[in-house]
Amino acid sequence: MPQRAKIFISQIIAVSALLALWPASMTASSSVVRDHAEVTLVCDREAIAPGDTFTIGLRLKLEPEWHVYWTNPGDAGLAPRLNWTLPSGFSAEPLEFPVPKRIPAGPLMSFGYDGEVVFLSQIIAAPDIAAGERAKIRADVDWLVCKVECIPGEAVLGLDLPVKSTAMVNDEWRSRFVEIREKLPTTSKDWDIAVRLLPNELELSATRRSASATAPRALHLFPERKGIIDNAARQDFSATADGFTLRVSKNKMFLDSLTELRGLLVADADWLGAGRKALQFVAPVTMATDSLPVVASVDLPIWQVLLFAFVGGLILNLMPCVLPVLSIKALGFIEQANQSRNSIAAHNLLFLLGVLVSFWTLAALLMILQAGGEHLGWGFQLQSPTFLVVLSAFMFLIGLNLFGVFEVGTSLTGIGNSRSAGRIGSFITGVTTTIVATPCTAPFMGTALGFALTQPAMISLAVFTALGLGMAAPYIIVTSSPALLKFVPKPGRWMETLKQAMGFLLMATVVWLAWVLGIQAGATAVALLLVALLTCSVAAWILGRWGSLAVEMRPRRIAQISAALVIIAGLVGVSGNLPSAQAAAVSAGSEAGIQWEPFSPQRVAQLRQEGRPLLIDFTAAWCLSCKVNEQVAFGSGQVQKRIDELDLVALKADWTARDATITRALAEFGRNSVPLYVLYPGNQGAPIVLPELLTPGIVLEALAKIEG
Amino acid sequence: MRRLTKIGIVSLVLALIAGLAAIAQTGTQDVAIGGVAIDQPAPDFTLKDLDGKEYKLSSFKGKYVVLEWVNFDCPFVKKHYSSGNMQALQAEATKKGVIWLSICSSAPGKQGHFPIADLKKRIATEKAVPTAYLIDENGVVGKLYGAKTTPHMFVIDSIGKLRYAGAIDDMPSTKVDDIPKATNYVRAALDAVTNGRAVAVKSQTPYGCAVKF
Repeated sequence: MPQRAKIFISQIIAVSALLALWPASMTASSSVVRDHAEVTLVCDREAIAPGDTFTIGLRLKLEPEWHVYWTNPGDAGLAPRLNWTLPSGFSAEPLEFPVPKRIPAGPLMSFGYDGEVVFLSQIIAAPDIAAGERAKIRADVDWLVCKVECIPGEAVLGLDLPVKSTAMVNDEWRSRFVEIREKLPTTSKDWDIAVRLLPNELELSATRRSASATAPRALHLFPERKGIIDNAARQDFSATADGFTLRVSKNKMFLDSLTELRGLLVADADWLGAGRKALQFVAPVTMATDSLPVVASVDLPIWQVLLFAFVGGLILNLMPCVLPVLSIKALGFIEQANQSRNSIAAHNLLFLLGVLVSFWTLAALLMILQAGGEHLGWGFQLQSPTFLVVLSAFMFLIGLNLFGVFEVGTSLTGIGNSRSAGRIGSFITGVTTTIVATPCTAPFMGTALGFALTQPAMISLAVFTALGLGMAAPYIIVTSSPALLKFVPKPGRWMETLKQAMGFLLMATVVWLAWVLGIQAGATAVALLLVALLTCSVAAWILGRWGSLAVEMRPRRIAQISAALVIIAGLVGVSGNLPSAQAAAVSAGSEAGIQWEPFSPQRVAQLRQEGRPLLIDFTAAWCLSCKVNEQVAFGSGQVQKRIDELDLVALKADWTARDATITRALAEFGRNSVPLYVLYPGNQGAPIVLPELLTPGIVLEALAKIEG
Repeated sequence: MRRLTKIGIVSLVLALIAGLAAIAQTGTQDVAIGGVAIDQPAPDFTLKDLDGKEYKLSSFKGKYVVLEWVNFDCPFVKKHYSSGNMQALQAEATKKGVIWLSICSSAPGKQGHFPIADLKKRIATEKAVPTAYLIDENGVVGKLYGAKTTPHMFVIDSIGKLRYAGAIDDMPSTKVDDIPKATNYVRAALDAVTNGRAVAVKSQTPYGCAVKF
């Protein structure tokens, strides 16, 4: 073939190739213009090499006010989709979505992009493609573009890249891609992120792992999965000592459980380095919505809650914390047995009123404090060292009275005759019984209390009334029936003996309270408590020595007043110097064979992720039923053995002193009080809530369940 | 002694009143939150249809009700109407005695809002067969139900409890081709409630265009 012909043919081939493959020689496909959007494929190569890794961008240029969507579009919309048709041996990475923004529309919120947006995808060329071939790449793209109205778009875009032995870079797009990549969401080892799922909120907490990490000033959560959060709701950002927290309203329609949360945290300004404001994270989620008790307690019909409260009140009479006080009630009962039935009924009515008024007062106080943002729960008063000191002094004084150190009646109330003082005594007994009863939540009451405190005032009031009625019911029943009254023994010398014996029971209660105070506020507090008790005994002695009826009026009054002053001075002096509550870690490990770890939501999340079974013991030193359970159930050798065998982690959530984290964790189970025992199976299944009173059998049975 | 009893009673009553007042004050914070929840009573509403006839949800106690948020110009709604999918579902349901209420919350001047005459023509050309097409142009009912997209579907059972809320099916797209491949959640929910079974999928994030409040 003549040289000229050769050239001519090669020219024809070149030209036709150019024509056929136009815009193949370009690094961008021809733009497709659709409604309100111009869509183009752009590439950072003029030519690729075999085995080359390069990037193709899907560029959308939008008219002002129009937008396209992120992978989670928010309340409405749809993310763009791209389907590659690649030469054989080529592969493509998924599209990388840039950092989205919040696009509000009335009461709704979208997550997306406006202006110009480029979605990147890395392509790996086949290593065996020969130089001189052409790589034909096709992309089927569809998207939804919206302003107020929405228009779906579709296009088939193509690139035809020459293959050469060495790749030829397109400088313009390479540098643009570098810029875009610098702004893409990034992962970071500097932050530990954990999420707690509350009944109405997601609480995300980020903890700094390295000292150099700086917290952003404000940011927003963009969850990867649709429908988890209320997209339009305000997100509450707050900085903490070691990082920050973000509280986001949950979508009420989201019913699934959630074990992990994936998404972006997008700061308002650069945060993770120059140009970087979005952190891509995967965080474990604790106390997922699978905490069924929340639903269960709310779903109960009101009559059932009232019944639970009533039965709970009945059973409360048998609880270790109430027993000593009830012994006083029982004594009064015997004394009254000889009086007219009307008189007895009046006493019992006053006792009931005492119970009810104090339940209402405690509930009202608790609700007011909670409304003020305090994280408190039932039994909150025992988390206060001052309250413990006053209660101990009160119990101690009653004890001294039972021993006969001083006379109650005239002296305690100071006015009136002994009979009416006795009635006030009945009321006071009611009050005292309630106060000491609160730490003991008997079976059935956990649910009722948790329910009551989340309900409108009238319903909570009804629940607390049912509780009080249940507590007073046995006395009212006995006294209203003459047949039953016959069984009450006649008063006599034996009563004096019983009275004094009961005094020791009260002293034992004081010892217990002193122990609680010791855990809560340390040895100094206990010493101060003992000083308070010493002052009380001095006052009691003054009262007994110079305040009795045998003494003349004037010195008697002086004795009474000085006794009162001594007590007040003692209590005020002691309370003022009390250290604040800071629960010293209960060295629980030594009590039983179980190695308890302190509770934290992060630890729970971590263990759940590892798939290890775990037990959480929500307890407090002042909760006697908790202590009994710990001895009886967790002290059992068999239980300890099973726990070891199951490789179960036992966490102790100690609520002796105030602890907002534990209060919140309790609330997630619809509870407001301890004890609460939660057993998580290892397979991320729903947690099991154990009853408030445990036996080794109950625990073993529950352990068998999670094993199966 | 009498006097003392009196003092006692008076102070008791005072304590009671104080306690009640305190509780009542904190109680006001527990005002019922608007919106709907699965397996809870669906909030009542009254809306007018194109002829001005009033429809009250609670008057349908004893019947099953479907609420469909609609905007004929939304591409996602178009997908289900141009294919005949929505109409088939409407016919299927109403034949079984289910009340089907199509609700349009588009505000005047916004997409999907039409003059009554145009709307009647539009319903005829779309061959839509709901029990009623209701106008909610101030968006009150849409916001009450937390309607986010068109379509956004709700299934209410015969005792007035909400049993399903969310997407019409599991293929969030504007493509008609996807309809035969999709699982229709509304059909499944209706099938379950009318046969006395529990609804398996109670809630799915709705997809579509934002409601034009």
